[in-house]
Amino acid sequence: MSSTLTPPLPQTKRPQYTLPSPRSVFTSLLKADLTTQWRNRRAAMLAILIPSVILISWKGLIAQFGGAFALSNCITVGLNAIGLMGYTNSVARDRDKGVFQRLCVTPAPRWTIMASRLAVQLIMIVITTLVLFYVGYQVDHIVMNTANYVFAFLTAILGGALYLSLGQMIVGLVKNQETAFGITRLVFFVFIMVGQFASFGMLGVQVGSIADWSPYGTTKNILAAALTPSGWTGKTSMAVLVTLGYIAVFTTLGIRYFRWSSK
Amino acid sequence: MNMPTNQYQPVLEVEDLVVRYGSFQAVKNVSFAVQPGEIFGLLGPNGAGKTSTLSAIEGLLKPTSGSIRVLGYDNREQPLHARACTGVQLQSTSFQSELTISEIIRLFAGIHGIDLSPERTAAILTDIKLGDSASKRFGQLSGGQQQRVSLVIATIHQPPLVLMDEPTTGLDPQSRRQLWARMEAMRDKGHSILLTTHSMEEAEAVCDRIAIIDYGNIITTGAPQAIIDENRDKPEVIAASRRGRITLEDVFIGLTGTDIRA
Repeated sequence: MSSTLTPPLPQTKRPQYTLPSPRSVFTSLLKADLTTQWRNRRAAMLAILIPSVILISWKGLIAQFGGAFALSNCITVGLNAIGLMGYTNSVARDRDKGVFQRLCVTPAPRWTIMASRLAVQLIMIVITTLVLFYVGYQVDHIVMNTANYVFAFLTAILGGALYLSLGQMIVGLVKNQETAFGITRLVFFVFIMVGQFASFGMLGVQVGSIADWSPYGTTKNILAAALTPSGWTGKTSMAVLVTLGYIAVFTTLGIRYFRWSSK
Repeated sequence: MNMPTNQYQPVLEVEDLVVRYGSFQAVKNVSFAVQPGEIFGLLGPNGAGKTSTLSAIEGLLKPTSGSIRVLGYDNREQPLHARACTGVQLQSTSFQSELTISEIIRLFAGIHGIDLSPERTAAILTDIKLGDSASKRFGQLSGGQQQRVSLVIATIHQPPLVLMDEPTTGLDPQSRRQLWARMEAMRDKGHSILLTTHSMEEAEAVCDRIAIIDYGNIITTGAPQAIIDENRDKPEVIAASRRGRITLEDVFIGLTGTDIRA
């Protein structure tokens, strides 16, 4: 049986509501996303393991193609895996489950929700790059000078941003989780296969040229140039501009069309 | 930033709310207010516009026109302030499946600017009889347990307004009664609750006032008994009556019709 309407009590002290600071919100989200990533570490390990295995298996090619070639290709594979399989799939899955919808009804600014996820992937990019440097050094005896390592590290972050923006575009344009999964796997596979075969000159000049200016190609070329003493050319600078262009386009589309719920 | 509150103003004011999906108008100039310390129910058949109305209030969808103010904060112009004053229990809630329920509670407390210690989190879980389940994942809980956790998360920051979308759907009778008791306890502490429901029993049991919505329009608003008294003599309500005594369900059927909605 319903009670009658309770009139407001004049003596009731109403609590004051303070808007939480974006920093504290971001910190809470980051802690949760890092915990989630840690508990999904098996999937994350694959993003590090696959390029490591490729790098080790190419030990015999180092003399012919050079350490920069091998490292740049393998780091690009790793960035591809993190941006597409790591970021995109987790965003698509959580959106479909309603996780974002639940976060969107809180006072968390929406940019903090995504920034937290991106920060976790950035950490993965840093770890993957450092591991591959280490594997390259220990197993393949690839030795670079410190400046090249630092430069390559920074270009890896740029490449990572490219793949994260590509992943964002996919989840922005594709609402259905299964379709998004399928597209990321296809793009991942195509980039790796075409990029790698084109690197070895096995796909002809025309396809090789297209692959060179694809997201895989520009990332790989920038990394290779950064790892090689005096390796930076006009073509490399153009590749940087193209990469920045890709990031701008993918990010714009990914944010513009992104929906926080798949329903 | 501190937000001043006026304890006599409505906690929620919805004015001339319109929600359109393409050419279909789901909510047509709906207006109502929820007063402090009141449980307000929004009743309607499937497709009536309840969830669209609630989603607009929650900020999950952008209304076509109209205004929504929570404690005076317009939810389009000051969405973060409006959301800070609101706690939401969605009909189907999901949290990150890798997190334990204590981690989820601390996450949402942190989002609201509350730093919960592990001891305090444990005390909260004990209070809702989940003290032994702190390390369980949300998906490992029963329906009733999930509702208790969702309600704790929705009210962790002591919001003046709590929104609940069909909160007792899928619950067994004991869990439902427990949830009603919790809702009444929240009301007695000064929270206001806006809930959507299909259940006449729930509307009569806990709601101080209800609004019946159909085809996007509010047909009637008032206390459940007052609505029954106002409409008991209408022929369509009498025709809907099954046992001679006019119930809220009879009024609801009389006003909204007997056709099954998709």
